[in-house]
Amino acid sequence: MTEPIIRLENVSLSFPQPTSPLGFLKRIFTRSEREGFLALDDVSFDVNRGEVLGIIGRNGSGKSTVLRAMTGIFPTDNGRVLSSGKQTLLSGLGTGFASHQTGRENALIFGSTLGRTKAEMDGKMGEIIDFSELGDFFDKPLRTYSAGMKARLGLAVVSVMTPEILLIDEVLGVGDPKFREKSKQRILEMVEDAGTVVMVSHSFGLMKSLCHRIIHLHRGQVVFDGDPEKAIQSYYDMED
Amino acid sequence: MEVNPTGELVPVASQPSILGSPLRCLNDIVSHRFLVFALVQRTLRSRYRLAGLGYLWLVLEPLLLAATYWFLFVMLAGNPDEMYPVWVLVGVIVWSTFGKSLSGAVSSLTSNTQMIHMAYFPRSIFPVSITTGNIITSLVSSLVLVPIVFVFDTPVTVHLLWIPVGIVLAGVMGGLFGMIFAPLNCGQRDVEHLFRFIVRAGFFFSPVMWTAEMALQRGTWGEYALLNPIVMPITMVRHAIAGESVDLPLLSITSSLLFLSLCALLGSIVFMKSEREAVKFL
Repeated sequence: MTEPIIRLENVSLSFPQPTSPLGFLKRIFTRSEREGFLALDDVSFDVNRGEVLGIIGRNGSGKSTVLRAMTGIFPTDNGRVLSSGKQTLLSGLGTGFASHQTGRENALIFGSTLGRTKAEMDGKMGEIIDFSELGDFFDKPLRTYSAGMKARLGLAVVSVMTPEILLIDEVLGVGDPKFREKSKQRILEMVEDAGTVVMVSHSFGLMKSLCHRIIHLHRGQVVFDGDPEKAIQSYYDMED
Repeated sequence: MEVNPTGELVPVASQPSILGSPLRCLNDIVSHRFLVFALVQRTLRSRYRLAGLGYLWLVLEPLLLAATYWFLFVMLAGNPDEMYPVWVLVGVIVWSTFGKSLSGAVSSLTSNTQMIHMAYFPRSIFPVSITTGNIITSLVSSLVLVPIVFVFDTPVTVHLLWIPVGIVLAGVMGGLFGMIFAPLNCGQRDVEHLFRFIVRAGFFFSPVMWTAEMALQRGTWGEYALLNPIVMPITMVRHAIAGESVDLPLLSITSSLLFLSLCALLGSIVFMKSEREAVKFL
Protein backbone atom coordinates (compact mmCIF):
# COMPACT_ATOMS: atom_id res chain seq x y z
CA MET A 1 0.00 0.00 0.00
CA THR A 2 1.77 3.08 -1.22
CA GLU A 3 -0.90 5.72 -1.27
CA PRO A 4 0.77 9.12 -0.94
CA ILE A 5 -0.69 11.31 1.81
CA ILE A 6 1.83 14.16 1.52
CA ARG A 7 3.71 15.05 -1.62
CA LEU A 8 6.51 17.56 -2.00
CA GLU A 9 7.07 18.63 -5.60
CA ASN A 10 10.37 20.41 -6.32
CA VAL A 11 10.09 22.43 -3.15
CA SER A 12 12.53 25.28 -2.67
CA LEU A 13 12.30 27.55 0.32
CA SER A 14 14.58 30.40 1.31
CA PHE A 15 14.77 32.56 4.40
CA PRO A 16 15.21 36.24 3.66
CA GLN A 17 18.01 38.44 4.90
CA PRO A 18 17.10 41.75 6.50
CA THR A 19 16.49 44.13 3.65
CA SER A 20 15.36 47.64 2.84
CA PRO A 21 11.66 48.48 3.24
CA LEU A 22 11.28 48.44 -0.53
CA GLY A 23 12.99 45.08 -0.87
CA PHE A 24 10.76 43.76 1.87
CA LEU A 25 7.59 44.85 0.13
CA LYS A 26 8.84 43.42 -3.14
CA ARG A 27 9.56 40.12 -1.48
CA ILE A 28 6.24 39.65 0.26
CA PHE A 29 4.06 40.80 -2.58
CA THR A 30 5.79 39.45 -5.67
CA ARG A 31 7.11 36.07 -6.55
CA SER A 32 10.22 37.56 -8.10
CA GLU A 33 13.75 36.21 -7.70
CA ARG A 34 14.34 35.39 -4.06
CA GLU A 35 17.65 35.85 -2.38
CA GLY A 36 18.73 34.89 1.10
CA PHE A 37 19.51 31.60 2.78
CA LEU A 38 18.26 28.66 0.73
CA ALA A 39 16.98 26.19 3.34
CA LEU A 40 15.37 23.73 0.94
CA ASP A 41 16.69 23.22 -2.57
CA ASP A 42 14.47 21.37 -5.01
CA VAL A 43 13.19 18.74 -2.58
CA SER A 44 10.75 16.12 -3.84
CA PHE A 45 9.37 13.08 -2.06
CA ASP A 46 6.14 11.37 -1.06
CA VAL A 47 5.03 10.36 2.39
CA ASN A 48 2.81 7.30 2.17
CA ARG A 49 -0.17 6.55 4.32
CA GLY A 50 0.62 4.38 7.31
CA GLU A 51 4.38 4.73 7.19
CA VAL A 52 6.92 6.08 9.63
CA LEU A 53 9.30 8.29 7.73
CA GLY A 54 12.46 9.53 9.36
CA ILE A 55 14.45 12.59 8.31
CA ILE A 56 18.09 12.89 9.32
CA GLY A 57 20.80 15.37 8.54
CA ARG A 58 23.32 17.69 10.16
CA ASN A 59 22.29 20.83 11.98
CA GLY A 60 20.96 23.36 9.49
CA SER A 61 20.35 20.78 6.77
CA GLY A 62 16.67 21.77 6.53
CA LYS A 63 15.02 19.05 8.62
CA SER A 64 12.79 21.30 10.71
CA THR A 65 12.08 23.51 7.71
CA VAL A 66 10.79 20.52 5.76
CA LEU A 67 8.33 19.73 8.54
CA ARG A 68 7.22 23.36 8.71
CA ALA A 69 6.78 23.49 4.95
CA MET A 70 4.63 20.34 5.21
CA THR A 71 2.28 21.96 7.73
CA GLY A 72 2.11 25.24 5.83
CA ILE A 73 3.86 27.32 8.47
CA PHE A 74 6.36 28.51 5.85
CA PRO A 75 5.29 28.99 2.24
CA THR A 76 7.49 27.60 -0.50
CA ASP A 77 9.33 29.80 -3.00
CA ASN A 78 9.02 27.25 -5.76
CA GLY A 79 7.25 23.94 -6.06
CA ARG A 80 4.30 22.87 -3.99
CA VAL A 81 3.31 20.84 -0.98
CA LEU A 82 0.23 18.68 -1.41
CA SER A 83 -1.57 16.78 1.29
CA SER A 84 -4.72 14.74 1.62
CA GLY A 85 -4.86 14.74 5.40
CA LYS A 86 -4.50 16.92 8.45
CA GLN A 87 -0.98 17.46 9.75
CA THR A 88 -0.16 17.95 13.39
CA LEU A 89 3.29 19.23 14.24
CA LEU A 90 4.94 18.56 17.56
CA SER A 91 8.05 20.67 17.62
CA GLY A 92 10.90 21.38 19.97
CA LEU A 93 10.71 21.51 23.71
CA GLY A 94 7.40 23.16 24.36
CA THR A 95 7.76 25.71 21.56
CA GLY A 96 4.89 28.12 21.81
CA PHE A 97 3.97 27.20 25.35
CA ALA A 98 3.55 30.12 27.76
CA SER A 99 5.69 29.73 30.86
CA HIS A 100 3.34 31.56 33.22
CA GLN A 101 0.42 29.33 32.30
CA THR A 102 -0.37 25.94 33.72
CA GLY A 103 -0.05 22.69 31.82
CA ARG A 104 -3.83 22.56 31.52
CA GLU A 105 -4.09 26.05 30.00
CA ASN A 106 -1.24 25.36 27.59
CA ALA A 107 -2.85 22.08 26.57
CA LEU A 108 -6.07 23.95 25.82
CA ILE A 109 -4.32 26.57 23.66
CA PHE A 110 -2.26 23.94 21.86
CA GLY A 111 -5.45 21.96 21.16
CA SER A 112 -7.19 25.12 19.91
CA THR A 113 -4.38 25.86 17.47
CA LEU A 114 -5.00 22.41 16.04
CA GLY A 115 -8.64 23.28 15.54
CA ARG A 116 -10.16 21.60 18.59
CA THR A 117 -12.98 23.17 20.60
CA LYS A 118 -12.81 23.83 24.32
CA ALA A 119 -15.43 21.13 24.99
CA GLU A 120 -13.41 18.57 23.03
CA MET A 121 -10.26 19.49 24.92
CA ASP A 122 -11.99 19.42 28.31
CA GLY A 123 -13.17 15.92 27.51
CA LYS A 124 -9.62 14.83 26.77
CA MET A 125 -7.91 16.38 29.78
CA GLY A 126 -8.13 13.21 31.87
CA GLU A 127 -6.37 11.24 29.16
CA ILE A 128 -3.72 13.94 28.80
CA ILE A 129 -2.98 13.89 32.54
CA ASP A 130 -2.73 10.11 32.47
CA PHE A 131 -0.47 9.92 29.47
CA SER A 132 1.82 12.77 30.51
CA GLU A 133 2.18 11.38 34.07
CA LEU A 134 2.52 14.98 35.24
CA GLY A 135 0.20 14.54 38.22
CA ASP A 136 -0.06 17.67 40.35
CA PHE A 137 2.28 19.53 38.02
CA PHE A 138 -0.48 19.64 35.40
CA ASP A 139 -2.05 22.59 37.22
CA LYS A 140 1.24 24.36 37.95
CA PRO A 141 2.82 27.03 35.75
CA LEU A 142 5.07 25.74 33.00
CA ARG A 143 8.10 27.57 34.36
CA THR A 144 8.23 24.95 37.13
CA TYR A 145 8.57 22.16 34.52
CA SER A 146 11.74 20.41 33.51
CA ALA A 147 12.57 20.02 29.81
CA GLY A 148 11.41 16.42 29.88
CA MET A 149 8.10 17.38 31.47
CA LYS A 150 7.39 19.94 28.76
CA ALA A 151 8.08 17.34 26.10
CA ARG A 152 5.76 14.94 27.89
CA LEU A 153 2.98 17.51 27.96
CA GLY A 154 3.30 18.21 24.23
CA LEU A 155 3.41 14.57 23.31
CA ALA A 156 0.46 13.79 25.59
CA VAL A 157 -1.67 16.44 23.89
CA VAL A 158 -0.98 15.30 20.34
CA SER A 159 -1.21 11.65 21.24
CA VAL A 160 -4.74 11.84 22.64
CA MET A 161 -5.86 13.66 19.52
CA THR A 162 -4.96 10.70 17.30
CA PRO A 163 -3.70 12.91 14.48
CA GLU A 164 -3.95 11.65 10.93
CA ILE A 165 -0.43 12.77 10.11
CA LEU A 166 1.95 13.43 12.98
CA LEU A 167 5.14 15.39 12.39
CA ILE A 168 7.58 15.14 15.27
CA ASP A 169 10.55 17.45 15.51
CA GLU A 170 13.23 16.24 17.89
CA VAL A 171 11.00 15.56 20.85
CA LEU A 172 11.39 11.87 21.52
CA GLY A 173 15.01 12.16 22.55
CA VAL A 174 14.13 13.78 25.84
CA GLY A 175 12.28 12.35 28.78
CA ASP A 176 13.34 9.41 30.88
CA PRO A 177 13.76 5.94 29.32
CA LYS A 178 10.40 4.77 30.61
CA PHE A 179 8.52 7.64 28.99
CA ARG A 180 10.55 7.24 25.83
CA GLU A 181 9.46 3.62 25.59
CA LYS A 182 5.84 4.65 26.19
CA SER A 183 6.02 7.28 23.44
CA LYS A 184 7.50 4.74 21.08
CA GLN A 185 4.64 2.34 21.82
CA ARG A 186 2.13 5.13 21.25
CA ILE A 187 3.63 5.94 17.86
CA LEU A 188 3.49 2.30 16.84
CA GLU A 189 -0.16 2.16 17.90
CA MET A 190 -0.91 5.26 15.88
CA VAL A 191 0.71 3.79 12.79
CA GLU A 192 -1.34 0.61 13.25
CA ASP A 193 -4.48 2.76 13.15
CA ALA A 194 -3.39 3.91 9.68
CA GLY A 195 -1.81 7.04 11.09
CA THR A 196 1.25 8.45 9.39
CA VAL A 197 4.33 9.72 11.19
CA VAL A 198 7.22 11.84 9.96
CA MET A 199 9.97 12.28 12.51
CA VAL A 200 13.14 14.29 12.76
CA SER A 201 15.67 13.10 15.29
CA HIS A 202 19.32 12.61 16.01
CA SER A 203 18.78 9.43 18.01
CA PHE A 204 19.53 6.93 15.28
CA GLY A 205 18.79 3.92 17.49
CA LEU A 206 15.22 5.07 17.96
CA MET A 207 14.94 5.95 14.27
CA LYS A 208 16.13 2.51 13.21
CA SER A 209 13.61 0.78 15.43
CA LEU A 210 10.67 2.94 14.30
CA CYS A 211 11.14 4.10 10.74
CA HIS A 212 10.23 2.23 7.60
CA ARG A 213 12.15 4.68 5.51
CA ILE A 214 14.65 7.44 6.16
CA ILE A 215 15.53 10.50 4.11
CA HIS A 216 18.97 12.01 4.48
CA LEU A 217 19.03 15.76 3.92
CA HIS A 218 22.20 17.69 3.30
CA ARG A 219 22.29 21.43 2.67
CA GLY A 220 18.61 21.43 1.81
CA GLN A 221 18.84 18.60 -0.70
CA VAL A 222 17.75 14.99 -0.53
CA VAL A 223 20.92 12.88 -0.81
CA PHE A 224 19.38 9.57 0.15
CA ASP A 225 15.82 8.25 0.38
CA GLY A 226 15.11 4.66 1.34
CA ASP A 227 16.28 1.90 3.63
CA PRO A 228 16.97 3.18 7.20
CA GLU A 229 20.32 1.37 7.58
CA LYS A 230 21.60 2.73 4.28
CA ALA A 231 20.35 6.24 5.07
CA ILE A 232 22.30 6.28 8.32
CA GLN A 233 25.32 4.91 6.46
CA SER A 234 24.92 7.76 3.96
CA TYR A 235 24.89 10.21 6.87
CA TYR A 236 28.15 8.86 8.30
CA ASP A 237 29.79 8.74 4.86
CA MET A 238 29.00 12.43 4.48
CA GLU A 239 30.60 13.16 7.86
CA ASP A 240 33.99 11.96 6.70
CA MET B 1 -7.32 23.41 7.02
CA GLU B 2 -9.86 22.08 4.56
CA VAL B 3 -11.52 18.78 5.24
CA ASN B 4 -10.78 16.46 2.38
CA PRO B 5 -12.82 13.28 2.48
CA THR B 6 -11.90 12.03 -0.97
CA GLY B 7 -8.25 11.49 -0.08
CA GLU B 8 -7.19 13.63 -3.00
CA LEU B 9 -3.94 15.58 -2.72
CA VAL B 10 -4.59 19.30 -2.37
CA PRO B 11 -2.16 22.19 -1.80
CA VAL B 12 -1.35 22.85 1.85
CA ALA B 13 -2.46 26.20 3.35
CA SER B 14 -3.53 27.67 0.01
CA GLN B 15 -3.73 31.44 -0.32
CA PRO B 16 -6.99 33.21 -1.11
CA SER B 17 -7.32 35.54 -4.09
CA ILE B 18 -7.32 39.29 -3.52
CA LEU B 19 -11.08 39.55 -3.69
CA GLY B 20 -11.58 36.39 -1.65
CA SER B 21 -9.37 37.66 1.18
CA PRO B 22 -11.92 39.58 3.28
CA LEU B 23 -14.37 36.68 3.20
CA ARG B 24 -11.69 34.10 3.93
CA CYS B 25 -10.44 36.23 6.80
CA LEU B 26 -13.91 36.36 8.34
CA ASN B 27 -14.40 32.66 7.77
CA ASP B 28 -11.08 31.85 9.47
CA ILE B 29 -12.04 33.84 12.53
CA VAL B 30 -15.40 32.12 12.88
CA SER B 31 -13.93 28.65 12.44
CA HIS B 32 -11.15 29.38 14.95
CA ARG B 33 -13.28 31.22 17.50
CA PHE B 34 -12.23 28.82 20.25
CA LEU B 35 -8.62 29.77 19.73
CA VAL B 36 -9.61 33.45 19.90
CA PHE B 37 -11.42 32.84 23.20
CA ALA B 38 -8.47 30.89 24.59
CA LEU B 39 -5.99 33.62 23.63
CA VAL B 40 -8.16 36.41 25.04
CA GLN B 41 -8.52 34.47 28.26
CA ARG B 42 -4.77 33.94 28.40
CA THR B 43 -4.00 37.64 27.96
CA LEU B 44 -6.52 38.77 30.56
CA ARG B 45 -5.50 36.14 33.09
CA SER B 46 -1.82 36.84 32.75
CA ARG B 47 -2.39 40.56 33.16
CA TYR B 48 -4.27 40.28 36.45
CA ARG B 49 -2.97 36.94 37.72
CA LEU B 50 -0.59 38.31 40.30
CA ALA B 51 -2.70 41.32 41.30
CA GLY B 52 -4.46 41.01 44.63
CA LEU B 53 -7.38 43.08 43.39
CA GLY B 54 -7.40 41.19 40.10
CA TYR B 55 -10.08 42.18 37.62
CA LEU B 56 -11.26 44.91 40.00
CA TRP B 57 -8.51 47.06 38.46
CA LEU B 58 -10.58 47.22 35.29
CA VAL B 59 -13.04 49.58 36.99
CA LEU B 60 -10.76 50.90 39.71
CA GLU B 61 -8.36 52.51 37.25
CA PRO B 62 -10.96 54.57 35.35
CA LEU B 63 -12.62 55.49 38.64
CA LEU B 64 -9.35 56.85 40.02
CA LEU B 65 -8.73 58.59 36.70
CA ALA B 66 -12.15 60.25 36.93
CA ALA B 67 -11.35 61.49 40.42
CA THR B 68 -7.99 62.80 39.21
CA TYR B 69 -9.55 64.64 36.27
CA TRP B 70 -12.23 66.13 38.47
CA PHE B 71 -9.61 67.40 40.91
CA LEU B 72 -7.44 68.70 38.08
CA PHE B 73 -9.98 70.34 35.81
CA VAL B 74 -12.75 71.41 38.18
CA MET B 75 -10.96 72.07 41.48
CA LEU B 76 -7.58 73.30 40.28
CA ALA B 77 -8.26 74.78 36.87
CA GLY B 78 -11.75 75.95 37.80
CA ASN B 79 -13.44 74.72 34.67
CA PRO B 80 -17.13 75.68 35.09
CA ASP B 81 -18.29 72.62 33.11
CA GLU B 82 -18.79 69.93 35.74
CA MET B 83 -19.15 67.30 33.03
CA TYR B 84 -15.75 68.06 31.48
CA PRO B 85 -13.87 65.45 33.57
CA VAL B 86 -16.43 62.86 32.42
CA TRP B 87 -15.87 63.80 28.78
CA VAL B 88 -12.13 63.43 29.25
CA LEU B 89 -12.60 60.05 30.91
CA VAL B 90 -14.76 58.88 27.99
CA GLY B 91 -12.12 60.18 25.60
CA VAL B 92 -9.39 58.26 27.40
CA ILE B 93 -11.35 54.99 27.49
CA VAL B 94 -12.35 55.10 23.82
CA TRP B 95 -9.00 56.37 22.60
CA SER B 96 -7.09 53.71 24.50
CA THR B 97 -9.34 51.01 23.01
CA PHE B 98 -8.32 52.30 19.60
CA GLY B 99 -4.67 52.92 20.44
CA LYS B 100 -4.03 49.62 22.22
CA SER B 101 -5.76 47.66 19.46
CA LEU B 102 -3.77 49.51 16.83
CA SER B 103 -0.33 49.03 18.37
CA GLY B 104 -1.27 45.52 19.50
CA ALA B 105 -2.32 44.51 16.00
CA VAL B 106 0.81 46.03 14.45
CA SER B 107 3.06 43.89 16.65
CA SER B 108 0.71 40.89 16.74
CA LEU B 109 2.90 38.73 14.50
CA THR B 110 6.26 39.70 15.97
CA SER B 111 5.10 39.12 19.54
CA ASN B 112 3.77 35.64 18.78
CA THR B 113 6.76 34.17 16.95
CA GLN B 114 6.78 31.03 19.07
CA MET B 115 3.17 30.17 18.45
CA ILE B 116 3.54 30.88 14.76
CA HIS B 117 6.36 28.32 14.58
CA MET B 118 4.30 25.78 16.50
CA ALA B 119 1.40 25.10 14.19
CA TYR B 120 -0.25 26.46 11.10
CA PHE B 121 -3.49 28.25 11.72
CA PRO B 122 -4.80 31.52 10.30
CA ARG B 123 -2.59 34.26 11.74
CA SER B 124 -5.44 36.75 11.57
CA ILE B 125 -6.35 35.16 14.92
CA PHE B 126 -3.61 37.22 16.60
CA PRO B 127 -4.76 40.78 15.79
CA VAL B 128 -8.36 39.67 16.27
CA SER B 129 -7.79 38.25 19.73
CA ILE B 130 -5.74 41.28 20.79
CA THR B 131 -8.51 43.60 19.63
CA THR B 132 -11.20 41.47 21.25
CA GLY B 133 -9.31 41.55 24.55
CA ASN B 134 -9.04 45.34 24.43
CA ILE B 135 -12.71 45.75 23.60
CA ILE B 136 -13.71 43.51 26.50
CA THR B 137 -11.55 45.36 29.03
CA SER B 138 -12.85 48.72 27.82
CA LEU B 139 -16.45 47.56 27.99
CA VAL B 140 -15.91 46.49 31.60
CA SER B 141 -14.12 49.78 32.35
CA SER B 142 -17.00 51.72 30.86
CA LEU B 143 -19.21 50.37 33.63
CA VAL B 144 -17.84 53.20 35.81
CA LEU B 145 -19.84 55.53 33.60
CA VAL B 146 -23.03 54.11 35.08
CA PRO B 147 -22.61 55.56 38.62
CA ILE B 148 -21.35 58.77 37.01
CA VAL B 149 -24.57 59.05 35.06
CA PHE B 150 -26.44 58.88 38.39
CA VAL B 151 -24.16 61.35 40.16
CA PHE B 152 -24.71 63.97 37.48
CA ASP B 153 -28.36 63.08 37.20
CA THR B 154 -28.23 62.81 33.41
CA PRO B 155 -31.27 61.17 31.83
CA VAL B 156 -31.22 57.38 31.56
CA THR B 157 -32.30 56.71 28.00
CA VAL B 158 -32.08 53.97 25.44
CA HIS B 159 -29.24 56.00 23.87
CA LEU B 160 -26.93 54.61 26.56
CA LEU B 161 -26.70 51.57 24.28
CA TRP B 162 -24.47 53.67 22.01
CA ILE B 163 -21.72 53.37 24.64
CA PRO B 164 -20.75 49.78 23.75
CA VAL B 165 -21.24 50.55 20.05
CA GLY B 166 -18.71 53.38 20.22
CA ILE B 167 -16.18 51.28 22.10
CA VAL B 168 -16.47 48.31 19.74
CA LEU B 169 -16.18 50.65 16.76
CA ALA B 170 -12.99 52.22 18.11
CA GLY B 171 -11.42 48.82 18.84
CA VAL B 172 -12.31 47.31 15.48
CA MET B 173 -11.03 50.40 13.70
CA GLY B 174 -7.69 50.19 15.52
CA GLY B 175 -7.32 46.44 14.98
CA LEU B 176 -8.09 46.57 11.26
CA PHE B 177 -5.84 49.59 10.73
CA GLY B 178 -3.03 47.74 12.50
CA MET B 179 -3.53 44.61 10.38
CA ILE B 180 -2.41 46.54 7.32
CA PHE B 181 1.02 47.06 8.89
CA ALA B 182 1.51 43.88 10.92
CA PRO B 183 3.27 41.94 8.12
CA LEU B 184 5.50 44.93 7.33
CA ASN B 185 6.54 45.02 10.97
CA CYS B 186 8.01 41.50 10.64
CA GLY B 187 10.76 42.79 8.39
CA GLN B 188 10.96 46.35 9.63
CA ARG B 189 10.53 46.82 13.36
CA ASP B 190 10.57 50.58 12.79
CA VAL B 191 6.90 50.17 12.04
CA GLU B 192 5.96 49.36 15.61
CA HIS B 193 8.03 52.26 16.97
CA LEU B 194 6.39 54.58 14.48
CA PHE B 195 2.94 53.44 15.53
CA ARG B 196 3.74 53.86 19.20
CA PHE B 197 4.50 57.47 18.37
CA ILE B 198 1.34 57.79 16.27
CA VAL B 199 -0.78 56.56 19.17
CA ARG B 200 0.86 59.05 21.57
CA ALA B 201 0.60 62.02 19.23
CA GLY B 202 -2.87 61.01 18.06
CA PHE B 203 -4.06 61.42 21.64
CA PHE B 204 -3.83 65.19 21.21
CA PHE B 205 -5.12 65.31 17.65
CA SER B 206 -8.18 63.37 18.70
CA PRO B 207 -11.06 64.61 20.85
CA VAL B 208 -9.73 63.17 24.10
CA MET B 209 -8.99 66.41 25.92
CA TRP B 210 -11.40 68.35 23.73
CA THR B 211 -14.87 67.69 22.39
CA ALA B 212 -16.48 67.92 18.97
CA GLU B 213 -18.53 70.88 20.22
CA MET B 214 -15.38 72.78 21.19
CA ALA B 215 -13.92 72.11 17.76
CA LEU B 216 -17.01 73.39 15.98
CA GLN B 217 -16.64 76.76 17.78
CA ARG B 218 -13.16 77.09 16.29
CA GLY B 219 -14.27 77.63 12.70
CA THR B 220 -12.54 76.07 9.71
CA TRP B 221 -9.68 74.41 11.59
CA GLY B 222 -12.14 72.84 13.97
CA GLU B 223 -14.07 71.44 11.05
CA TYR B 224 -10.91 69.89 9.67
CA ALA B 225 -10.23 68.36 13.08
CA LEU B 226 -13.61 66.64 12.93
CA LEU B 227 -12.50 64.68 9.84
CA ASN B 228 -10.45 62.52 12.21
CA PRO B 229 -12.19 59.11 12.02
CA ILE B 230 -11.99 58.56 15.78
CA VAL B 231 -14.21 61.62 16.42
CA MET B 232 -17.36 59.62 15.79
CA PRO B 233 -16.83 56.75 18.29
CA ILE B 234 -15.73 59.11 21.06
CA THR B 235 -18.55 61.57 20.45
CA MET B 236 -21.01 58.69 20.20
CA VAL B 237 -20.21 57.61 23.75
CA ARG B 238 -20.30 61.17 25.06
CA HIS B 239 -23.65 61.90 23.49
CA ALA B 240 -24.99 58.59 24.80
CA ILE B 241 -24.21 59.73 28.34
CA ALA B 242 -25.88 63.06 27.63
CA GLY B 243 -28.93 61.08 26.53
CA GLU B 244 -28.69 61.72 22.81
CA SER B 245 -27.84 59.79 19.72
CA VAL B 246 -24.63 60.84 17.99
CA ASP B 247 -24.95 64.33 16.58
CA LEU B 248 -22.09 65.29 14.26
CA PRO B 249 -21.57 66.96 10.89
CA LEU B 250 -22.27 64.48 8.09
CA LEU B 251 -18.72 64.83 6.81
CA SER B 252 -17.34 63.64 10.13
CA ILE B 253 -19.55 60.53 10.18
CA THR B 254 -18.73 59.78 6.55
CA SER B 255 -15.03 60.06 7.20
CA SER B 256 -15.28 57.63 10.08
CA LEU B 257 -17.29 55.04 8.17
CA LEU B 258 -15.07 55.43 5.12
CA PHE B 259 -11.94 54.88 7.21
CA LEU B 260 -13.49 51.80 8.79
CA SER B 261 -14.44 50.22 5.46
CA LEU B 262 -11.09 51.07 3.93
CA CYS B 263 -9.24 49.48 6.85
CA ALA B 264 -11.46 46.41 6.71
CA LEU B 265 -10.74 45.96 3.02
CA LEU B 266 -7.05 46.84 3.03
CA GLY B 267 -6.39 45.19 6.38
CA SER B 268 -7.78 41.83 5.40
CA ILE B 269 -6.29 41.84 1.89
CA VAL B 270 -2.80 43.02 2.81
CA PHE B 271 -2.65 40.79 5.87
CA MET B 272 -3.91 37.66 4.14
CA LYS B 273 -1.70 38.16 1.10
CA SER B 274 1.53 38.90 2.90
CA GLU B 275 1.58 37.29 6.34
CA ARG B 276 2.84 33.92 5.11
CA GLU B 277 5.93 35.32 3.44
CA ALA B 278 6.37 37.87 6.23
CA VAL B 279 6.62 35.29 9.03
CA LYS B 280 9.77 33.94 7.40
CA PHE B 281 11.46 37.06 8.77
CA LEU B 282 10.62 36.07 12.33
